[in-house]
Amino acid sequence: MKVRSGKARLRSKRRLLREAKGNFGGRKNLNRTIRETILRSRAYAYRDRRVRKREMRRLWIIRLNAACREHGLRYSEFINGLTKSGLTLNRKSLSELAFHEPAVFAEVLNVVKASL
Amino acid sequence: MAVDIAQRTSVAKNETFEPQWYHIDGEGQIVGRFASALAMVLMGKHKATYTAHVNTGDFVVVTNVDKVRFTGAEMAHDSHPNFTTKMANKTYEHYTGYPSGRRITTGSAMLEKHPEKILQEAVRRMLPKNKLAKSMLMRLKLHVGSEHPHQSQNPQPLPEHLLTRCK
Repeated sequence: MKVRSGKARLRSKRRLLREAKGNFGGRKNLNRTIRETILRSRAYAYRDRRVRKREMRRLWIIRLNAACREHGLRYSEFINGLTKSGLTLNRKSLSELAFHEPAVFAEVLNVVKASL
Repeated sequence: MAVDIAQRTSVAKNETFEPQWYHIDGEGQIVGRFASALAMVLMGKHKATYTAHVNTGDFVVVTNVDKVRFTGAEMAHDSHPNFTTKMANKTYEHYTGYPSGRRITTGSAMLEKHPEKILQEAVRRMLPKNKLAKSMLMRLKLHVGSEHPHQSQNPQPLPEHLLTRCK
């Protein structure tokens, strides 16, 4: 019997079409363009899941710097004091504290300042 | 004290964000240093709620913008107390979009025609080059002379710790 790939091919094409939904112009209509776009987008997605972790850390540091400067401390001085104080809060939870509970963060700053 | 810390990093929302109003006298401030301090406030980077995709900046009212100065050797000028060589040599360029549409304005001409543009241009170039920049710049209110029409917003004096780079 002759083996035909009709159904499988159609299914894989549909899968690609579904993933290309919402793209602009030929990127959602043309078979070859879809394939290129999707391969590229998956590569970006893989890379940027890792980049995201660096970007978030940068954001926390920006926020912490702002919160510290309000109390007359630079970020670098703050981290120096934090290490010396033995507090084990990380940058993420510290920035969340500064975001939602400025009063609690000020308390943390007092501890940090005391150990400088 | 019980504090609820979520797993996700919080972001500021346009709907709930309430900008502050600040006021500062621009007299005698050095343009570049002053502009960088203003840009920080306009971008919202002075607050723990900074979020890159939301305009979390505050309003800043600057009076006496015509009296900002540049560094450099002092020069005599009939309308400006601290006119310097740098101001005289400075040029502002823009392109009209028509062929050979390059226009050049000197610092002293800018001071006479649009004194507030000197500081505005300096700040604008320090803001991020994105779609939020426009709305950030709109929160900067520049006024020639010591009067301003924003009394009903009750602007507070700009806190000292935001001006450390102007020293």
